[in-house]
Amino acid sequence: MQPRGQPPSAPRPGPARPYAPPWALLLLLLTLRGAAVPLQDPAVPLQGPRGTDVPAPPSWAMLQQAARVALHFFNFHSGSPSELRVLANVQTGGWQVDPRRGYHINLVFSTESYHLQDGKPRLGKCFARVFFQNQKPRPAITMTCTGLSEKNRTLQEDHLLYEQLKQMKDALTVSSIPDDYGNIDPSMRPIWDLAVLGSSYVMWERTTQFSYYYPLQLSRVKQWKTSDHAIDFDYTVLLHEFPTQEIVPCHIHLIWYPGKPLKVKYWCEEMQTPVEASSGTEEGSAVALTEFSNF
Amino acid sequence: MKPLLGTLYLLGMLVPRGLGYDRSLAQHRNQVVDKTGSLWKNLETYSYNKYHPMEEIYLWMSQISEKHAEVVTQHLLGMTFEKRPMYYLKISQPSDNPKKIIWMDCGIHAREWIAPAFCQWFVKDILQNYKDNPRINKFLRNLDFYVLPVLNIDGYIYSWTTDRLWRKSRSSHNNGTCFGSDLNRNFNVSWCSIGASKNCQDLTFCGTEPVSEPETKAVSGFVESKKQDILCFLTIHSYGQLILTPYGYTKNKPSNHEELIQVGQKAANALKAKHGTNYRVGSSADILYPTSGSSRDWARDIGIPFSYTFELRDDGTEGFLLHETQIQPTCEEAMEAVLSILDDVYAKYWLSNTATKVTSTTVLLNLLWLFTSLL
Repeated sequence: MQPRGQPPSAPRPGPARPYAPPWALLLLLLTLRGAAVPLQDPAVPLQGPRGTDVPAPPSWAMLQQAARVALHFFNFHSGSPSELRVLANVQTGGWQVDPRRGYHINLVFSTESYHLQDGKPRLGKCFARVFFQNQKPRPAITMTCTGLSEKNRTLQEDHLLYEQLKQMKDALTVSSIPDDYGNIDPSMRPIWDLAVLGSSYVMWERTTQFSYYYPLQLSRVKQWKTSDHAIDFDYTVLLHEFPTQEIVPCHIHLIWYPGKPLKVKYWCEEMQTPVEASSGTEEGSAVALTEFSNF
Repeated sequence: MKPLLGTLYLLGMLVPRGLGYDRSLAQHRNQVVDKTGSLWKNLETYSYNKYHPMEEIYLWMSQISEKHAEVVTQHLLGMTFEKRPMYYLKISQPSDNPKKIIWMDCGIHAREWIAPAFCQWFVKDILQNYKDNPRINKFLRNLDFYVLPVLNIDGYIYSWTTDRLWRKSRSSHNNGTCFGSDLNRNFNVSWCSIGASKNCQDLTFCGTEPVSEPETKAVSGFVESKKQDILCFLTIHSYGQLILTPYGYTKNKPSNHEELIQVGQKAANALKAKHGTNYRVGSSADILYPTSGSSRDWARDIGIPFSYTFELRDDGTEGFLLHETQIQPTCEEAMEAVLSILDDVYAKYWLSNTATKVTSTTVLLNLLWLFTSLL
């Protein structure tokens, strides 16, 4: 696979970094033991709670979605462009359904680091509980992951990245990363990594049990301000939406500093549903939504 | 501008010659190459590790069928909405025995550039190896390959000139205010029932009626006419790393579902052995999402037994914007998958005699072992 970017140094394996209090973790593990089955074949039905009259189990596709959205959540909360992780494989999945409220999905899945070390991604594992509330977006997630870099190491790498980003004077001239042929200029890669980090928040908020997203391209940089306290980055990312296949432009404004929680504000352009003729611009008609933010 | 001029030039040259349904371009190839020499060097310098715009693919087709005239012919399938010729390549070793057909099409969705790249790679590989490679040589004794390198030509060109992430065709709707149908929702199978949209602005717009689009008409008309002889229908897409079996329009399974999964899984294993890449195998409704009007489902339902959609690399990291350095490994591993499917298809239809011999031998050996163990 194409190198996704080389970090300054190889991080050492570190302790698990939980995102939930220890008692919740114990509860999670107990739940997993009770309701999980190993998944070998998407045709094999999953076990639900015994003796309950439940609707159809989540499909294999939904389990993949649950794992992906859990990783968006992880990436956003880690606030670290150096520690971005992607889905490798869903290993076990269990589920409980509340007909009135939605699906609780328990997952164990393997991950890979977005950045390669010595030409190979670093492997990891996550245990997650994802609650899709009846087709609403922004699923509730508790999770813990192993195989991550040691915390100080990550912070160090983030600081190095920060220094690189501070040097960038021509960020405003960026028109697309990657270009139409999939190229990313190595000097521009830190911008892409930061853009993906910000996109994670948006993708987590938009994902439902049916729709999921991938970031395809950074199409425009509107604002780029750097200082000793933060990178202030305003940009447009094109998200690929499944299953509609639409390309959704999202305008994201983020403020980042290594080790600090990521701040994100955004709005996405939505396609209008009526058949009435619009101006038919490439991005579709822009309907400004209420700004979403965690500022 | 240049790609458009190139296309118009080719069009101007080729269409007035009144090409019929089955006529090859043999007598006109030399003229095409000479007059458009400035657009191209020669086949020896053609890189299969790069993405090519449509006018280069047109030229490549013409040159490949000239260079390998003993086995390759170029044929006109039909015309696109914007009146461009749709050509497929037929790879066929001359022989007296009747042949069965393997169909492969690429680029039904414009932005999936790795797909046409794979069709070109496939042709190149077969032609490079059919003389010396016994496996491929054997296929060509009984099988003809029909390869359509770019199905959605108008859309593909549009993705080069205007919008890299365009998906649909370029047909005009609502008085020119809305463009394109999703050609993979336009086939006549449970048309527009699920996973497709009646709204022209949507990217899964199923068209104004089943087979409303000229591209869909061209493919389905031809495939329908040859369906008695087509054993395998492969349609190549990206991305997702999947080998999809019918159906998308229902969770019900075709009569040969078990076999399709088995053959598909074997192909995925062969693929993984090449570079370690994981491809999932399953029905479209099970492992992807519901869709109706797809070419793969339609092909299965008119009776073509082996019908698969390939979703090539990657898994979402680069998506459609797959880096050119990935073309070679993607194509090499996909090639292994396709060859594995062909092995199974070939074994099923032409090795039944050998299978009987193997079974008899096995029985004999078992009896011998039983006898000796009783001593």
